[in-house]
Amino acid sequence: MNALRKGIDASATEALPGTGKEAGARRYRFAPGFIGFSGHFPGNPILPAIVQIRAVVSLAEEECGKALRLAAVRSAKFLSPIRPDEDVWIRYRRRIDSGIDICDATLSVAGKTVAAFRLELAEGEIPR
Amino acid sequence: MAAERLIPHRAPMRLVDTLVSVKDGCAVAESVLPRSTMMADGEGRLDEVSFMELIAQSYAAFKGYMDRMDGKPPCEGFLVGVRNLEITGRAYAGDRLLTSVRTVAALGGFAVVEGAVTRGDETLASGTLKLWLVDPDADGG
Repeated sequence: MNALRKGIDASATEALPGTGKEAGARRYRFAPGFIGFSGHFPGNPILPAIVQIRAVVSLAEEECGKALRLAAVRSAKFLSPIRPDEDVWIRYRRRIDSGIDICDATLSVAGKTVAAFRLELAEGEIPR
Repeated sequence: MAAERLIPHRAPMRLVDTLVSVKDGCAVAESVLPRSTMMADGEGRLDEVSFMELIAQSYAAFKGYMDRMDGKPPCEGFLVGVRNLEITGRAYAGDRLLTSVRTVAALGGFAVVEGAVTRGDETLASGTLKLWLVDPDADGG
């Protein structure tokens, strides 16, 4: 596990129970000392977009108990910056569409959607 | 030119090392991520999300260079969208990664950018990003 993911996992503060492996929700609070804020940006910390997507993939992986990789970002919208110490709810839902593992996710702060993604997830290594 | 002169990102979140070429609306940036990068696991494999950041930072370096050529300080930019970013290969710490970017549309403060990350002849990821470029001369910017 890389250091970024360890930092993300350590920032989880609350999970909604009973959401199952096809859907999940978890609350995060990224402290000012979170590694993803380091250098992004000096004096103006903003949660990097890649942290937001990594958090969704890691949450889905943990909920289903299998190693997953990000195969594609079909679409992503980043609507508002996420600052240190904000409570961020991540919600996702997975489905299989034509054999592809689709993960739709939203991030919200204070009830407002700040990011929305449609990701493709896959198990195992990238085929060569 | 060193990317640190062109983009606001700083270590450990600065993933691009050098802007190596700019020509005809396209640019190429180079990255060699160390084993100690937060993006690498114990086996040196880079997280797939790194590719998106490489494209975004490479474009920021390109834009920063163009701003400097115009005698302006590099403007800030923010990633606001991604479309059809395909991840087709695995990168490792120590790999020499080249990220090419091309502006396909620019309207108002927004730019649509196509990017691809390669290692040698192998394309590891490619896709389209949308960025918002902050005009330092605009009110509230």
